[in-house]
Amino acid sequence: MGSDLSNGNVLECSDIRKTFGDFVAVDGVGFHIGAGETYGLLGPNGAGKTTTISIIAGLLERDGGTVLIAGEAMDPEATAAKRHVGLVPQDLAIYPDLDARENLRFFGRLYGLRGSELDHRVDEVLDIIELRDRANDRSDEYSGGMKRRLNIGIGLLHHPTLLILDEPTVGVDPQSRNAILESVERLGEEGMAVLYTTHYMEEAERLCDRIGIIDHGTIKAEGTQRDLVQLVGQRDRVRLVATGNLAAGSAALGELPGIDDAAVTAQGIDLIVENAHDELPEILSVASRTGVSVGGVDVDTANLEAVFLHLTGRALRE
Amino acid sequence: MKSVAIAGVSLRRFFRDRSNVFSVFLFPILLVLLLGSMQGGASNPRLGFHVETPDAFSTQLLEGLEGIDGLVVKELGSEEAAVRAVERGEIEAALMLPDGYAATLQSGGEVELHYVSRTQTEQLQGINTAIGSVVGQQSTILRTARFAEENGAGAFDEALAIATEAQMVLPPVEVVASTAGEPFALAGLGQFDIYAQTMLVLFIFLTTLQGAAALVQSRRLGVTRRMLSTPTPARTVLFGEGLSRLAIALVQGLVIFLGTWLIFGVDWGNPLLALVVLAVFALVSSGAAMLLGAVVSNDQQAGGLATMIGLGLAALGGAMFPLAVFELLSTTVWRVAHITPHAWALESFEELVGFGGGFGDIAGFLLILLGYAAVFFTLGTWRLRAILTR
Ligand SMILES: Nc1ncnc2c1ncn2[C@@H]1O[C@H](COP(=O)(O)OP(=O)(O)OP(=O)(O)O)[C@@H](O)[C@H]1O
Ligand SMILES: [Mg+2]
Repeated sequence: MGSDLSNGNVLECSDIRKTFGDFVAVDGVGFHIGAGETYGLLGPNGAGKTTTISIIAGLLERDGGTVLIAGEAMDPEATAAKRHVGLVPQDLAIYPDLDARENLRFFGRLYGLRGSELDHRVDEVLDIIELRDRANDRSDEYSGGMKRRLNIGIGLLHHPTLLILDEPTVGVDPQSRNAILESVERLGEEGMAVLYTTHYMEEAERLCDRIGIIDHGTIKAEGTQRDLVQLVGQRDRVRLVATGNLAAGSAALGELPGIDDAAVTAQGIDLIVENAHDELPEILSVASRTGVSVGGVDVDTANLEAVFLHLTGRALRE
Repeated sequence: MKSVAIAGVSLRRFFRDRSNVFSVFLFPILLVLLLGSMQGGASNPRLGFHVETPDAFSTQLLEGLEGIDGLVVKELGSEEAAVRAVERGEIEAALMLPDGYAATLQSGGEVELHYVSRTQTEQLQGINTAIGSVVGQQSTILRTARFAEENGAGAFDEALAIATEAQMVLPPVEVVASTAGEPFALAGLGQFDIYAQTMLVLFIFLTTLQGAAALVQSRRLGVTRRMLSTPTPARTVLFGEGLSRLAIALVQGLVIFLGTWLIFGVDWGNPLLALVVLAVFALVSSGAAMLLGAVVSNDQQAGGLATMIGLGLAALGGAMFPLAVFELLSTTVWRVAHITPHAWALESFEELVGFGGGFGDIAGFLLILLGYAAVFFTLGTWRLRAILTR
């Protein structure tokens, strides 16, 4: 969809506030998402992810703040801004007594598609969510993963500028989960801006260009995964399962600039490095030069779990 | 035309449930039959008729009887069959003509008609009057013809033809069956016509209001909220859902209207205008359903409230006791009754049926009804938006 992007950003929001009675659910959230960028909101249950997203999608009235989607102000009455957004709600929102095609056709019409364009897009989306062969079965006969995929497909119909996915993999089997993550990756690569909420840090790490860590209705920290990890001084751990001259190897590796520590263990050598991804080729070549034969490598990247714990004092999942 | 898409999906889902297909048509049909059986209390008297070998005069007598409005004549194969039918109550009475009926009459002889009936009922009075008048007419014609012939006016057959023709211009005799103790009757309106109007109004509002549950269900499925995430305003969503209820109400209303009109001969006044009143009232009912569906939060609650409100407003609005009764009680009661849309719909029907009114006579009532629909849809939209976005 063609759109005027303010500062090239698909989404700009600032200082969003929402209270339910006396309870402050969202307390001054603001961030932006550029074209083609995937942004993750990572936070535990009750952090305010769904509330924030509902305000951004124009489903909920806010008590303060601004939301611009592709340069258009968003609020519950803003149909122009809503044209740019595809929302995939956390809870399934499909008709159980209609089949996938009927569900897609219906919402496609609400997104303003019609005629052959509608037919075409419904088929395309059925392929993306891999439900083509079950398209004519009632959706209450689908597995949990298939229902989730249909729930996502509805948000894709009109080629949204911004796709918002609210915990799309909750309660999904590993196979479907992987399929969902792959589709989101592909959509991101194709240039769709994505706002993705999750409390699975692996998903945020895998999918998101930038991540906002949200808790108690505020964003505690924001940046790329590496930014966040460095923010709290986390290091990667590399375990070499190896034989040979371990002592010499360990000493030589300890001299490398990106390596903070190296120690011989019963299985081989353990290293603490700044960035395992960057250092690994060098580590392997130094090991082989010093007469160490490496049988296996185990990389433990500094993760957001630790970052989260550090920032909020609580684990991501209780 | 997003509201049409919304209505379409709502209808598709409604009719996917076979029991709904059944009930949409079944209940109105049952209602029509119920109304028909109410009419049965004042139903047409049935007369059996038997003649061994039909001739010109017996046929004339039969046709005369059949020509009477409100009398059902059944031809029976034998005297025994006729007597049995009377005994079983299949017919109220039977009239049996002797062989050679015409010949005896033409020769000026005396004819004895065999008449069997059950114990006296009001319906019998009607039949007796009918037979009396038809037989009387026939004998008048015969006597006229014989008189003409005897006074040299021509052959008997010719005289008979002239006398028969003269009889054609006489007003037809009508049998009016009535039940004792009718509580109330408006001038020009049969009791049955009033029943049909009030039942139509009660039924359409009540069943349409039940449709509130459908909106509650969509809300609970999360799809209503999802619709609002698309570029679709809340009023379009509500109007679309309401449109599906309207379509169902119209189908049901049409079944009742056509059934009572065509099968039981209910007087609806100008049928086109009656349909307009029906359509506008169905729109009001749909609006009320949408308002209720936007207010309550679970379908059982919606069903229970719909029944209470549907019956309550019907009672208040004159769909159970005629409005005119209210008027007799006090003007306050009458005014309170007119808080309900039911009262205005019934006023419209009364205007059409009782006074043979035209569009100009009901336009005001229709405007008031449209006002109800507008208020219901506006409040419903406001409520739906509030419930979903706060
Ligand atoms: N309609 C509401 N009325 C009252 N409180 C609400 C409402 N919606 C959300 N809340 C509260 O606001 C807080 C944030 O809720 P929200 O759904 O945004 O969390 P979340 O981060 O999406 O959590 P989860 O991971 O469980 O989905 C919670 O404490 C929740 O109880
Ligand atoms: Mg949530």
